[in-house]
Amino acid sequence: MGPALLDEPTSRFEPVVEVARYPAPIHDVDPDAAKGWIARLLPIVLARPAVLAASLAAALVAMVANVAAPAVTQQAIDRALVEQTEPLAQYLWMLAGLGVVRGTMAMAYRYGLFALAYRIEADLRQIVYQRLMAQSFSFFDRVQSGQLISRANSDIRSVQMLLAFAPLMAISLLSFFVAVAFMLTIHVGLTVAAIVALPGVYVLGVGLRNQIFPLSWIVQSRTAELATLVDESINGVRVVKSFAAEQQQLDRLARLARRLRWSNVAVADARARRAPIMENLPRVGLALVLLYGGWLVTEGVLQVGAIVAFSAYVVMLQTPFRLLGFFLMMAQRAKASAERIFEVLDEEVAITDPPDALVLDGAAGDIALDDVTFGYDDDHLVLRGCTLHVSPGETVAIVGRTGSGKSTIARLLARFYDVDAGAVRLDGHDVRALSLPSLRAAVGIVLDEPFLFSTTIHDNIAFSRPGATRAEVEAAARDAVAHDFIEALPDGYDTVVGERGSTLSGGQRQRIAIARALLASPPVLVLDDATSAIDAEVEEQILDALARRSSGRTTIVIAHRLSTIALAGRVVLLDGGAVVASGTHRDLLASEPRYAEVLAHLEEDI
Amino acid sequence: MGWGAPAGSPFAGPGAGAASAAAGLPFAGIPPELAERVQGVLATEPVHPDPAVRFEAVDPGERFTLRGYLRPHRAALLGALVLVVVETVAMQAGPLLTKIAIDRGIAMGDTSILVAVCAAYLGSILCNALAGAARLAVTARIGEQLMEELRLRVFSHLQRLSMDFYTGERAGRLMTRMTSDIDALSVLFQDGLVSLAVQGLTLVVITAILFQLDPTLATVTVAAIVPAMVVLTWWFRGASDRAYGSVRDRIAEVLSDLQENLSGIRVVTASNRRAQNRVHHRNVIGDHLDANLTTARIGAVYGPGSEALGIVAQAVVLGVGGHMVLRGELTIGELTAFVLYLTAFFAPIQQLVQLYNTYQQGRAAIAKLDDLLQTPPTVAERPGAAVLPPVEGSIELDHVSFGYGQAGEVLHDVTLHVAPGETIALVGPTGAGKSTIAKLIGRFYDPTGGTVRIDGVDIRTVTLASLRSQLGVVPQEAFLFHGTIRDNVAFARPDAPDADVLEACAAVGLEPLLRRLPDGLDSTVHERGASLSAGERQLLALARAFLARPRVLVLDEATSNLDLRSEAAIEQALDALLEGRTAIVIAHRLATARRADRIAVIDGGGIAELGTHDELVAAGARYASLYATWARHAEPS
Repeated sequence: MGPALLDEPTSRFEPVVEVARYPAPIHDVDPDAAKGWIARLLPIVLARPAVLAASLAAALVAMVANVAAPAVTQQAIDRALVEQTEPLAQYLWMLAGLGVVRGTMAMAYRYGLFALAYRIEADLRQIVYQRLMAQSFSFFDRVQSGQLISRANSDIRSVQMLLAFAPLMAISLLSFFVAVAFMLTIHVGLTVAAIVALPGVYVLGVGLRNQIFPLSWIVQSRTAELATLVDESINGVRVVKSFAAEQQQLDRLARLARRLRWSNVAVADARARRAPIMENLPRVGLALVLLYGGWLVTEGVLQVGAIVAFSAYVVMLQTPFRLLGFFLMMAQRAKASAERIFEVLDEEVAITDPPDALVLDGAAGDIALDDVTFGYDDDHLVLRGCTLHVSPGETVAIVGRTGSGKSTIARLLARFYDVDAGAVRLDGHDVRALSLPSLRAAVGIVLDEPFLFSTTIHDNIAFSRPGATRAEVEAAARDAVAHDFIEALPDGYDTVVGERGSTLSGGQRQRIAIARALLASPPVLVLDDATSAIDAEVEEQILDALARRSSGRTTIVIAHRLSTIALAGRVVLLDGGAVVASGTHRDLLASEPRYAEVLAHLEEDI
Repeated sequence: MGWGAPAGSPFAGPGAGAASAAAGLPFAGIPPELAERVQGVLATEPVHPDPAVRFEAVDPGERFTLRGYLRPHRAALLGALVLVVVETVAMQAGPLLTKIAIDRGIAMGDTSILVAVCAAYLGSILCNALAGAARLAVTARIGEQLMEELRLRVFSHLQRLSMDFYTGERAGRLMTRMTSDIDALSVLFQDGLVSLAVQGLTLVVITAILFQLDPTLATVTVAAIVPAMVVLTWWFRGASDRAYGSVRDRIAEVLSDLQENLSGIRVVTASNRRAQNRVHHRNVIGDHLDANLTTARIGAVYGPGSEALGIVAQAVVLGVGGHMVLRGELTIGELTAFVLYLTAFFAPIQQLVQLYNTYQQGRAAIAKLDDLLQTPPTVAERPGAAVLPPVEGSIELDHVSFGYGQAGEVLHDVTLHVAPGETIALVGPTGAGKSTIAKLIGRFYDPTGGTVRIDGVDIRTVTLASLRSQLGVVPQEAFLFHGTIRDNVAFARPDAPDADVLEACAAVGLEPLLRRLPDGLDSTVHERGASLSAGERQLLALARAFLARPRVLVLDEATSNLDLRSEAAIEQALDALLEGRTAIVIAHRLATARRADRIAVIDGGGIAELGTHDELVAAGARYASLYATWARHAEPS
């Protein structure tokens, strides 16, 4: 067994039916935020030291073989062809040998280094994912998921590219010095003549990139803008056609296309100004080698092989100069990217399991809010001293105006947020003392916005209990009055829905979300405005099924509709962040003027 | 830390959120560390003239071929070709000059030859650089002009196509016509044709020089490199295409899985799915890693393999050529030229093989684009169609039948007359044909039988623009465009003054939203309006219709999917909107329906009942029972 894998412990409340085909990362990034970005990445970079060392060694051998080849050619020409003092064959075998060594070693190091960088990327992706998914709701309230995705995409990619590139750059720089050393042993002055123009390649390269890099981002953003316009014109085609806005959309596209054309031409022009000179600069060295080297040969200082060797070296030597500017720019970007990634990783997780968490098994469903105070931000309290008790098996409707804190109670119950003061208790335990998986297994919540995943309806319902059989899923769907419409879909339960699947109406989505919660069969069920888009008739059937099937389950219903409210055994009226009245629908109507007022408000809505 | 802070936040990159077409990955936005330089570049951009392209509802119907597409630019293309020839010849002069320097200068001890050769070398460098720069500038201009023309042509045609073209998953594929297919053509032109010319010419020039120097050694050189390089590159092309295709698919999987986990985080958490999803995500990442490792393997074979081949080929040429030198059949200078030309063989072969791929993709793109451009709109404007004069707003369905494709009739022999200014509500079960009636009135489809008339005019005889500009359709899903609230409300009338836009917002009750948003009308709505509630989005769609001031309004379940509070706001908006207009309201809620002047119950492809609310309740049939169920729940017991 290797070192311990970086993986979170799971509990029996979080069943895992999928087999992990890949290991978890071995090391985490360095948690010390005071360190530099490279130092913080080092633990995962050095996670596989043997591969790294072997790859670097192979790279060294390959580099030397490459640099030695022109020198061998030079010897072959001078000794075997000009002086004719040595047989040609031995040089040819040497060259062929160098080719083979160069080839095999380069294959080994190229694969080794790239594979390492890709593995580091995969590790980073897992670490970022784990850290994100551990975050509490307050984090996701603040941060847009699109921005997190872009960090997970381009930022990780830019770090990966640097990691793959850095060793190659190092080898390339080293090869420059080795090659210059070879050249210096042949002739110092000729070496100077050969490489004098090379720094220009670097300077021009940096200048070219400085021009092109911002431009290429402009091209990207304009391409994206154009794609967005096309996307909107296709998805919003009904609106475009309804308002006969084709000419207007075409004008918009024409403007974007013109802007995109300008930026593309600007990129080409920037390239045209520098790239041809950049590519020709090393050839200035070749011309000088020919002149000065040729003169040296006529003077008898050198032999003609040197000219051949130098010609090869000049071509070889321009590579590090070309790469260096690119590398520095990449490093700059990777640093910014790494810092953005660390920002995600360093974000503190607000809601975690207490160290000695109590595992709650088979909850009875006794709920208590003790003088709870809570606000989503500091300025603005939603609940102020809210006290409420719900007995096991009771069905309670929470009624109140918008913003009175109805949904907040549901969220505190499942500990999506922690109270600012007071306590929320389940079966007498403060929810903050319970293990989160066991708490959330006990409390099932159907949220007001029914989110479906891009998978089959079966998997969407079985989301709460992966591995549930089709019969169990169907039973849950029947109780949620979803079975019939699901069966009517082209692929029934195997129909793919969600963002990229077929579209369902709001009411159908809500019914699937309810089926999802019912399948888990939690001791406490909270319906948070979960039937808002469902027809009154269908809603009645669902609530009937709930009542039939769930004797003993504590149910909290947050609803706007009288029909829903009327079905609850007890109604709790929330106002100003606290419970102001509690009783049956009839009692409250008779005794509590504020209740009638809130209902009147609902009636007006209807 | 800058989380969530709008300014100075690391998230506040401009342009974030738009979808990048090519890989289906989100465009991450310009990195903040580059923002300043980007601004600097943008400052140099000239003001582009206003576009002068007309949208033609009738298709000109020309075929789309590569030749036809390039023909208008023949002269410029010929100029580019001349530049390519100059560039290539200048580039390949180097080894030949080296040969002259060695054989004539060094061997003869003539330094004046050396100086002349060096000068010629520098001259060839200058020629190559100048011709190269000019060629880059010329081909980019031709290519970008072609791309712009093509974008406009394809987009015009997309807009010309009828609604039936835009159903379901087809939309996604249509999108690729405008993005990846046009990109493929751009690549074919910019990289493909130009590099075909450059690399092809390079190979021809080098081969010609080599054979002119010495046919035997030329044969050996070509034989030592070309077959092996072609085979290796051919293999690489196929293998790397597959491997990178798989990397692209899998990174898209990784990101969409991440995206779903983040968007659905509340459900994931509430369902105790974190452990399961973590394992799933690890597997998805692992599959992406495997695909990456495959590319690493392929790259590790190809790059070093061709380098090794280069060194070995050098040994072969040196061996054969060396013996020829020893036998006096070849000069040292000629051998040097061969050794130097050897390396020049690699790039053209590599690129030409790649080019085959580019060419195939370009061909496929051309075929797909041609196919799209040849697709006629099913609802076509008749040539010489008349302009519909301002209408009063009477609508007449005269024995109208309709079916979508082969699926059988949705409407059968429907006759309905709506008087100017009347509001009629269509109610009935899903799939009964309510929305179809709405679509026929807007001429999104043509009836298979019968006629739809507005003010007595068959709507097939008038121009689509004149018909639809007098008609406002508010669809079920309120679609928001990327842009500000103002852009969205003023969609139909982009030049509408602020006062009108504000009036429209006020009329539908959007003022609370405008007050809530920091920038009012100038607030950007993000990601298809994710920052607005469903009700607010629907109100925005109504404000859009209000501002367009159509004579006839069609509301297709514009009030479904809303919570009751939003619905109440919308009912009020509707009152403002319907005032004095002819309206067809497809109602999900009976609360909406009962406000209409008349109600039509649609069932089984026809009108089952028709009358006022009171009449239908009194009749005691379908509507009456629907209403009774609804009312029982709506009123407190």
